[in-house]
Amino acid sequence: MKAIRTLIPIRSILAAGCLVSSTSLGCGVEIASSAGLPPLSDAREIGRANSAILSSKQVASNANGAPSANLADFKKHVAPVLNKTCIECHGPKKAKGKFRIDTLDPNLIEGGDVDWWLEVLDAMSNGEMPPEDADVQLSDDDLGKVTEWLGAEVQKASTEQRNRGDHSSFRRMARYEYDYALQDLLGLPYSLTGNLPPETASKDGFKNSSEILQMSSMQFEVYRETALKALKHVTVLGEQPKMVVYRLPNSDDIVSNLSTGHIEKIHALHQKAKKGEKPPGNITFDQRKRSVKFNLSNHLPDEGTMRITLRAARSTTKEDEFASLRFQFSAHTSNNANFSEVISKRDIPVTGSIGKPQLIHLDIPLSEIQRNPFRNNKEKFPRRDEFLTIEYQTSTRGKEPLSVHVDFMEVSAPFFEQWPPQTHRNIFFESSKKTNELEYAREVLTRFMVLAWRRPLGPKEVDPFVNLFTKYRPEFATMEEAMLEVLATVLASPEFLYLTQQDSKTISEMELASRLSFFLWSSIPDEELLTLAWKGSLKKPEILEAQVERMLADPRAERFSKHFVEQWLGLDSLESVVHLKDVALMKAMKDEPIAFFQSALDHNSSVMDFLHSDYAVVNEKLAGHYRMRDVHGPHFRRVTIKPEVNRGGILTNAAMLTMNSDGKDSHPLKRGIWMLERVLHDPPPPAPPNVPEVDLTDPRILEMTLKERIADHRNKPACISCHAKIDPWGIAFENYDALGAYRAKIKNKPVDASSLLFNKQELAGMDGLKRYLLAERQDQFSRAMVHKMTTYALGRPLTFSDHSAIDDLTLQLRKKDDRLRDLIHLIIHSSIFSSK
Amino acid sequence: MTQKTSTMNRRTFLRGSGIALGLPWLETFAADDSNPDPSPKRFVSIYHPDGVGLPVKEDPAWKDWSWFPRGGERNFKLTKVLDVLEPLRKEITIYSGLSHPAARTVHGHSNADQYLTGAAIGGHGAYKNSISIDQVYAEQVGPFTRHSSLVMSTNGGVGGPRGAQTQSYNRSGRPIPALNHPKQIFDMLFVTSGREAAARLARSKSALDLLIANTRALGRKISRHDQGTLAQYLDAVRDTEVKLEKARKWIDTPVPKVDTKNLALEAGPKEARLYFQTMYELIYLAFLNDSTRVATFQLGRENGGGSHDLLSKAVGLGNAHGLTHAVKKPKGWENLGTYNRYQAEEFGRFIQKLKDAKEPNGRGSVLDNTFAMHGSASSSFHLSRNYPIISAGGKNLGFNNGRYLKFGEGNEDNQAGAGIVSDRGWRGKVEVEELPLSQLFITILQRLGVETNSFAGITGTLNRV
Repeated sequence: MKAIRTLIPIRSILAAGCLVSSTSLGCGVEIASSAGLPPLSDAREIGRANSAILSSKQVASNANGAPSANLADFKKHVAPVLNKTCIECHGPKKAKGKFRIDTLDPNLIEGGDVDWWLEVLDAMSNGEMPPEDADVQLSDDDLGKVTEWLGAEVQKASTEQRNRGDHSSFRRMARYEYDYALQDLLGLPYSLTGNLPPETASKDGFKNSSEILQMSSMQFEVYRETALKALKHVTVLGEQPKMVVYRLPNSDDIVSNLSTGHIEKIHALHQKAKKGEKPPGNITFDQRKRSVKFNLSNHLPDEGTMRITLRAARSTTKEDEFASLRFQFSAHTSNNANFSEVISKRDIPVTGSIGKPQLIHLDIPLSEIQRNPFRNNKEKFPRRDEFLTIEYQTSTRGKEPLSVHVDFMEVSAPFFEQWPPQTHRNIFFESSKKTNELEYAREVLTRFMVLAWRRPLGPKEVDPFVNLFTKYRPEFATMEEAMLEVLATVLASPEFLYLTQQDSKTISEMELASRLSFFLWSSIPDEELLTLAWKGSLKKPEILEAQVERMLADPRAERFSKHFVEQWLGLDSLESVVHLKDVALMKAMKDEPIAFFQSALDHNSSVMDFLHSDYAVVNEKLAGHYRMRDVHGPHFRRVTIKPEVNRGGILTNAAMLTMNSDGKDSHPLKRGIWMLERVLHDPPPPAPPNVPEVDLTDPRILEMTLKERIADHRNKPACISCHAKIDPWGIAFENYDALGAYRAKIKNKPVDASSLLFNKQELAGMDGLKRYLLAERQDQFSRAMVHKMTTYALGRPLTFSDHSAIDDLTLQLRKKDDRLRDLIHLIIHSSIFSSK
Repeated sequence: MTQKTSTMNRRTFLRGSGIALGLPWLETFAADDSNPDPSPKRFVSIYHPDGVGLPVKEDPAWKDWSWFPRGGERNFKLTKVLDVLEPLRKEITIYSGLSHPAARTVHGHSNADQYLTGAAIGGHGAYKNSISIDQVYAEQVGPFTRHSSLVMSTNGGVGGPRGAQTQSYNRSGRPIPALNHPKQIFDMLFVTSGREAAARLARSKSALDLLIANTRALGRKISRHDQGTLAQYLDAVRDTEVKLEKARKWIDTPVPKVDTKNLALEAGPKEARLYFQTMYELIYLAFLNDSTRVATFQLGRENGGGSHDLLSKAVGLGNAHGLTHAVKKPKGWENLGTYNRYQAEEFGRFIQKLKDAKEPNGRGSVLDNTFAMHGSASSSFHLSRNYPIISAGGKNLGFNNGRYLKFGEGNEDNQAGAGIVSDRGWRGKVEVEELPLSQLFITILQRLGVETNSFAGITGTLNRV
């Protein structure tokens, strides 16, 4: 099934807008020309006034009864135009592009040619057909006749197909969703899904799409293995094991809250000391001392949590100074056989003052980090030691730069907050039935299964699992061990692995709870959502609204920003870039669009901010890259920017510009394709096979600038038709280099970033591109946003049958001033969200 | 219908140490196999650390003790290092000018990890490896035999990152622990008892039965369209069930009876000659009995240390790694050459055994159906380029031996990096052109019947092989 295409170029806006209001011209839209784009400051307002969607009357939703094709109008108005205009090349005499228009079935509702008609609608409203050099030309009046009829028929056919219900969001969890679901269900604070194969992305970039989420026996086995491993990680057996503890010498034991009864031995954390001096009992990080490395020898256990505790304070608390700590684990087993791994997920900011020091805790799963494989050997070589390094991260300079003092530090493993840990008690809870093993087993299973399968369960559904437990029980010493094997089976069931839905047109309350949580948390619903659904009140608009707000306020909602934006914009490709060596910069680049999105979500900003904004969302690292001053620290925040910075919106984010470069220089073709696919949702057709490569051994080509090379390539007949639609978009980005830095010159020549779009619109660089998008393409972009987010929310590809629902959502979004947070509410309250 | 490739993957939940338990998939595969030749196709790789001796041409030692042969493709002449292989001349091929591009400027001490994987493991910091060639083949052929592969090294285990003690890495790039005690390997191959494994399989069987029933119940509640999606899950569970069934069959199938009379199963690296021969003998026996068709064996570890460093005692020399550092001392090149010669001699003995053994259920000799390679990821001192590689056998797979195949350009005499005994070498600029070893791997994989045209990010095969 062909995905919906959403070309709304100038002429179609013109056509649609004007036709509905039954005037030929004068809708306020000028046909694109090199002149006449408003300045950036006014473009958004003017563009909004130009919106065809907003000025048109809402398409009346189909009346009762089955819709029928309007064949009368086709015969009377449309067929004559097509005969006059198209049939010469696409008829019985010639069938250019192997396409004939005269054989298409004009009944879109019952006929089989809807996809072709969509192509016709696109090509004609886009100004691609008839071609410029054709003998016949198409008057605006005739174009209107065709697009008006086609538009209406497409709507009817789409609604009709939707009602037939040949689409589904029934799918398994994507890998990252499975990861979060395990963590949320079990209270597991880290990921254990490294053995699962990575997910491929659908054509439009989404990894949670029902069409691509396959299942194989290999994968199934990894699911079983991972579930059992995770269950073993969160539960315990027997008595609490003794801890190995390391502590800074002389440091204040009172700070430690480890119960001495569980300590096996305390080792000193030794820093290097001058000869004859005692190793210091505290650590001071400053300009000279940027890191400290402790040898932990080989005392650490193989598994369990290693807790690192520090009491830290900073010398000053000025806001423009920043300090954080990073933790590394390493070993050096023999010459050149070494490794090191950053084990802190993110740098930990030091915020405590001397008067009020801060207690920092870091928990590391010892079985999940790279360990020294020789640590348990008898021989001393290869070396068995393991090392913990703390790195000090700060950018402050000046006369009295900030320093950080640590007066207490302790490393303990295996560390337990309590015994048995809370995660264990969540599964094996206290109960009056505990004395009767079988009754207790049923109780444990029922509670676990309800949460894992996200629905109420009858006793008959639990029975087989109780039986499995009975079968396993004699093979294990304890009830818990046998139960974990059964629980792992619960988690290998499709009821856990899949987002299931019963066979009905609308989804149930329970299914709604899951759909909501997978949309906004990339994971299973929590008990509050399940309870509301169980009571049957989740679908009530005011409760739903409140729940969505609660969910967005929850830290788990960060997963939504992260995964939606990564997939929407295709940020994965940043990681395969070869010319970006600075890992910290890459990380900042990747985080920027996510932080921008998050900020827009928090402020309920207009989605048009993605095209251009008078602010940027940056951290210190990225601000440095953009040559912006006075941004300190690794956290992202909104900063007002001046036009000279040449930023604002996401098009100028370093990530987009870098990943759409070729290793040395900008890559206008990649940028153009990215623009069409990700921003305008108008993907160009794939490159034909056997396209001639640019011959870089040809001296004539070597002398050309990049833009000239592209033009040269484009002018080859095999290439021109596609490239003319792609390249101009990318050339407008030419003022940004391969790492996204702004440049006015390339090799001492001024940058030529001006280009001519297929519809003869001239774009003067990024400024011109943004002005054009805001002035003329708001409808297309808002529809693209709706399309992308709805695709993600439903976890399935949108098809022709969703066409009218997307149109409807777009209209509502535009009416709500295009606000991002409102869009989420609109989608969740829409009928498409609660239908199968 | 699930994809065939997925059903052929290793069953990670059945893994043992060093040996991945294989499953009899004979029926299923027999149908797919259009090749009427029933001979099993085998792959074995022997790795030795520290490279080989490469004196400069002007050095008097060059004539006798430079590893690479002289002369052309057919009329090559072996130096004293490899002359022990002269009787097997028609069975071997020697390669030059091959290396993994990602490691060409990595220190030789770090590079054993990537010899069979071609991964960009780098020299420091975070570490990530990828699947090794033997495991790519094992994924496909493993189900035919009791053990999908036999992974051995003199030091055993996995070693440390950039200090590998195994040559084999799984699909996720994790090292597969190597076995190093002959007795343990022998027991695994020929004395296995499966009680624990059988209990585990029985538990899995009950779980799968339950899941199938559970899935069917779910299937009744969902739409026809969604049943199609669910069918894929059901197929995955059924495939797993079939595998379990076959695994159980292996447990019931008696292991081949092998006479231990002539095997020194208690030998250790200190008795270098005996130990070495015993390890080779175990690979030979495993192949002969079709217990596995894939084996890797790493001699020693890069950077020396440990008892395996005494393997050179076999030729009266101490401390194998030290030999590479002492080449500029009197008789230095000769000593290193003598040790390399000894390695070639043992490899030759192994090859001869495979050659003398008739393929039990197939065509030609065991050697004709086996691709055996012997090599290192350094040429001269710590230099991760121009790997010294010998291969043998594989006639029935399409390998045409008796040749010296030079690849790349600008290093016809193998002088690039020759004579260097400092770290100048491995840090130096890559000035001659070499071809990716992965292209040889792709050639090998294709001839073993694996449908692939890429390995470690490299595409295409190697001409002339």
